[in-house]
Amino acid sequence: MKPRLWHWLAPALMACLWWGLFGFLAKLGSADVNAYDMQVLFTVGTIPIAIYILIRRAGMRANNKGRLIGAVIGIFAGVGGIAYFAAMARGKASIVGPVTSLFPMVTVLLATTLLKERLNRVQMAGIVLALISAALLAT
Amino acid sequence: MTWLVASLITIALWGVVGLLQKMGSQHSTSNSLMLWTTAGYLLLLPFLFTDSHLLALPARALVVGVASGLTNGLGAWSLYTAFERGARASVAVPLTALNPLVTLVLALLVLGERLTVAQTAGVVLALIAGAMLSYEPNAKEGA
Repeated sequence: MKPRLWHWLAPALMACLWWGLFGFLAKLGSADVNAYDMQVLFTVGTIPIAIYILIRRAGMRANNKGRLIGAVIGIFAGVGGIAYFAAMARGKASIVGPVTSLFPMVTVLLATTLLKERLNRVQMAGIVLALISAALLAT
Repeated sequence: MTWLVASLITIALWGVVGLLQKMGSQHSTSNSLMLWTTAGYLLLLPFLFTDSHLLALPARALVVGVASGLTNGLGAWSLYTAFERGARASVAVPLTALNPLVTLVLALLVLGERLTVAQTAGVVLALIAGAMLSYEPNAKEGA
């Protein structure tokens, strides 16, 4: 493999592994901890990275709108996280993980209506697959 | 509440997050957005302590919970590192969208979960659909 490819592919694969591990830990933790407490512990876990970003002080630029959007992201992602931990407590991680990964469907639908972005063909096919998947899993 | 209802709420809220990240990337760098996202998490904390059993939890549960937040943050950080090193969003984002495959494998191997044929087909389609939905050929990097 060419070293340049590996240069960016390695961290991209690491992202995949970290997030996959997150789903597994969410399932593991939700067996003993209620969803609200899981979100509290989750938040504690994000603090070391925030502190690292603060100390490094590199690539930190935002206007007030950017700061506000960031905080609103945290609120939506956090409440979504509580629902995610609740889903993990009630269902199989092997199903809840893949199903919740369908959230980009809502993003693309919102982006087409609110940001006037156009759906590409791959995304349209993705929506069809998502609906078939939902039909298979809901039975 | 069933797992399905809870999952649908997650999909709706994280779907909005995806939109906000698109909007935020025009007003903020990824590092800054990540920092303010943590601020948003902290704002939620007072509302979460109403029915808390944190003090009664075993150490193992505390470690697993904190590790979930850490691994989630490391995931975002790794993706931003990939962007800094020249990864194209149209390739890297759909690739990272396959992350529940890792969850799936761990759940089957470590937790001994088993799926029916219909569930296996549904899960595989959901993984592919998630990657396809994340595909944006002209996406701005660092979103």
